[in-house]
Amino acid sequence: MEDIQEILEDFLVEAFELIEQLDQNLVELESNPDDLELLNSIFRVAHTIKGSSSFLNFDILTGLTHHMEDVLNKARHGDLKLTPEVMDVVLESIDLMKSLLHAIRDSGNDTSAGIDITDICRRLDIISNGETAPSVAVAEPVDESPVPSSEEDDNTDYSKLSDKEVEDEIERLLKMRKEEDRKRKENSSATKAAAVPTPSFESLKDSDEEVTPKAAEPIAAKRASTADAGANAPAKKESASAMEQTIRVEVKRLDHLMNLIGELVLGKNRLLKIYDDVEERYEGEKFLEELNQVVSSISLVTTDLQIAVMKTRMLPIAKVFNKFPRMVRDLSRELGKQIELEISGEETELDKSIVEEIGDPLVHIIRNSCDHGIEDGATRRAQGKSEMGLIQLKAYNEGNHIVIEITDDGKGLDPDLLRSKAVEKGMITEREADAMTDKEAFALIFRPSLSTAKVVTNVSGRGVGMDVVKTNIEKLNGIIDVDSEVGQGTVIKLKIPLTLAIIQALLVGAQEEYYAIPLASVLETVRIPLDEIYTIEGKNVLRLRDEVLSLVRLSDIFGVKQVYEGGEHTYVVVIGLAESKLGVVVDTLVGQEEIVIKSLGDYLQGIEGIAGATIRGDGRVTLIVDVAALMNLAKGITVDIRASAEAVVKTKTVPSDYIVLAVDDSAMDRNIMKKSMEPIGVKVLEASNGQEALNMLKSAEYSIDAVLIDIEMPRMDGYTLAGEIRKYSKYKNLPLIAVTSRTSKSDRLRGVESGMSEYITKPYSPEYLESVVRKNIKL
Amino acid sequence: MSDKLNQILQKQQQQVDEPHKKEDDVIQLVGFIIGQEEYAVPILSIQEIIKPIEYTRVPSVPTYILGVFNLRGSVIPLIDLRSKFKMDPAKVTEDTRYIVMKGVDNTAGFVIDRLTEAIRIKSSRIGPPPETIHAEKGLVYGIGMRDENILTILKVEQLLKRDF
Repeated sequence: MEDIQEILEDFLVEAFELIEQLDQNLVELESNPDDLELLNSIFRVAHTIKGSSSFLNFDILTGLTHHMEDVLNKARHGDLKLTPEVMDVVLESIDLMKSLLHAIRDSGNDTSAGIDITDICRRLDIISNGETAPSVAVAEPVDESPVPSSEEDDNTDYSKLSDKEVEDEIERLLKMRKEEDRKRKENSSATKAAAVPTPSFESLKDSDEEVTPKAAEPIAAKRASTADAGANAPAKKESASAMEQTIRVEVKRLDHLMNLIGELVLGKNRLLKIYDDVEERYEGEKFLEELNQVVSSISLVTTDLQIAVMKTRMLPIAKVFNKFPRMVRDLSRELGKQIELEISGEETELDKSIVEEIGDPLVHIIRNSCDHGIEDGATRRAQGKSEMGLIQLKAYNEGNHIVIEITDDGKGLDPDLLRSKAVEKGMITEREADAMTDKEAFALIFRPSLSTAKVVTNVSGRGVGMDVVKTNIEKLNGIIDVDSEVGQGTVIKLKIPLTLAIIQALLVGAQEEYYAIPLASVLETVRIPLDEIYTIEGKNVLRLRDEVLSLVRLSDIFGVKQVYEGGEHTYVVVIGLAESKLGVVVDTLVGQEEIVIKSLGDYLQGIEGIAGATIRGDGRVTLIVDVAALMNLAKGITVDIRASAEAVVKTKTVPSDYIVLAVDDSAMDRNIMKKSMEPIGVKVLEASNGQEALNMLKSAEYSIDAVLIDIEMPRMDGYTLAGEIRKYSKYKNLPLIAVTSRTSKSDRLRGVESGMSEYITKPYSPEYLESVVRKNIKL
Repeated sequence: MSDKLNQILQKQQQQVDEPHKKEDDVIQLVGFIIGQEEYAVPILSIQEIIKPIEYTRVPSVPTYILGVFNLRGSVIPLIDLRSKFKMDPAKVTEDTRYIVMKGVDNTAGFVIDRLTEAIRIKSSRIGPPPETIHAEKGLVYGIGMRDENILTILKVEQLLKRDF
């Protein structure tokens, strides 16, 4: 009972969302009748509502949407022109559909409002059939029509009663209804039975309020959409107290909370980084202990908080899976097949927004499996399979992804049939069809309006369902994988990321820039010698074990300035997406880090190869690589990695090619340095403080061969400067010569620690300095 | 220094003393220098003005987009107005600032050479942009006449519009 209730609620929330969108689309369509995309999306709404309502046994709603679907389908295929007259009928039917949904929300079934759909169905049929004889579809509403019309008779009777009599009647019906509720609770399968008394009660209530039952709609519309659908007013009061344990929270608030946590995680990362720096500088100081405690407790709490907030958004996938056993049962009855549904892994949790999006696609996939996949009993027997068809629905975690697998043991997909169908419909050319692999042919089922079904049934065959699947999964950045064998069955795998906001990434360096590659796409990293890279037809490749991998340099893709000469070895990050693989050559591997995805904003939206940005522990912005786009971009790059890596090394021959940078705040000292080096004949640049020197090095305007550094300087002292310079991988071996009047042993020690290669104390003889410089630049 | 201060104080006093009934006609601007010229943008479109901080280069964008920087947790594009106005690049100095401007759905930082002052100008003193301006096409809202010089008033919405 509770499950049904939950499903019903979900259905209503979804249906109202869809209708809202439908209204907008229809208005647009009127001014733009040839927009196929728009028609397709309207059609999908009708299709989805039909699917869910038939599963919930709302026959009137199903009948109505089925007729609408017929008309829209014709229009979609261009067999029917959407004249204003046709639009009038379509809009009217949508209004009716809304009234039915409101009735369902308020009373739990669609018979209560007494809405008569026979007339509108007839008119829809006339439109869709032209003058041809009514098809099977018409038979349905005829069956249903007595129910609503008799309802209507009841209503008019009630509305003729006096107020007093009405009151009494309400009283009587309320009692009856309560009794009914009680029974319903006892007997969980009696949903349909309950529907009988409800209509009279509802319509009476309506007539009491508004005299005519149809006018009840606007009032109903104003009620909260979360209203407990199946329960009437008294029942609602009873259940209210029991529901207090959970609170419904707007998703927007949770999203906001998630954003704030994201900020906090960034702040924490930053704090940790600063602590490391402070620890290095003030080792042994007392306050460090205290700081350490604070930092670690904040970092712990932040991590817990992050997990807790993420958990509030996690739901078990059972919420979606629960509705399928019933659906499959009903479908198997309807289709006259024996089908068993096996569910496993329903406790797997994933983000709420994803749970919501995944419902629709699964409905369509399972309906397809039932209708087209599983054969009827006789065929199965003839093929030596058990008469009972089996559909397996499986969910499990795979790294940062959740995989949902739908397996059936039916007749499978025939790639040749799909190819010929697609050619027939003009979606692809013969040539394209011939070049297609079977896997690519299977992917054709996701194109709109391709259906291999011979008959359009109430269940499927219009070729729209799988389009819904693809659209929704793509929205979630998911991957669909179809595998099938004729006669054996079909496996459809949906691979969906767990959350969308915080991901694990591999940080890599390309020259002096850093990029984050989503770890989910990283298959492995390898370190290779440069001479293992070969060129085939202008493409760089690497033999990795038993396969050939194409290679591309990250810095070529993103046009990073080449400043750093690579060594004999380089790193390759092997990335994979669906079935393609690519080796990305990077200069450094920084490591794995949890990153918060931030948008680059409207201004920089949609830059090819960049999926977003994140803020690292040091406060800098790091760009996140869009793996799919990267693979595309890589195709256009034809740089010979080996040749260009070897060419970068520029040779210096004469002393005047060499450049020494003298950093000192005193102009006189700089002059002395300059004079001392004159005999060598090198070029000397000057900087008056650490900051200036660092900027000169960073700008890479000159290729500097040695730096003379004074220790005491304004803005940035010599130790800091040396430390900063050593952070750059290209300056790992640059000679840094400290020239200072600080003579104590501890000063010398600090000099070595900060990365100085030589330590000269003032005063010094010019000859000494000269010899030290000569030695260091090897002249 | 104190002279300057006095001048500013006097100016502020003047602004306060000015009749308030024509408030609607007075536009408040922030002036800044790029190259040799003085420009201005409406004060309300400025989110904040910061000293230069480190930014990250973004690939495959026009050269006038220097990259993105971190403004207290938000990632914001940084645009070099010198290069946008096709002037020669200049080095970052003590006076260089990033002006962070906020539009309806965009925020971006702009590199300028130095700030001048907050300006109040009557809208009657703002003329239409001269037709000869080419590099800054569409970016100019108008030319403000002041006693000692003229100002180029920029359209913030246009500056924040992606044009590549």
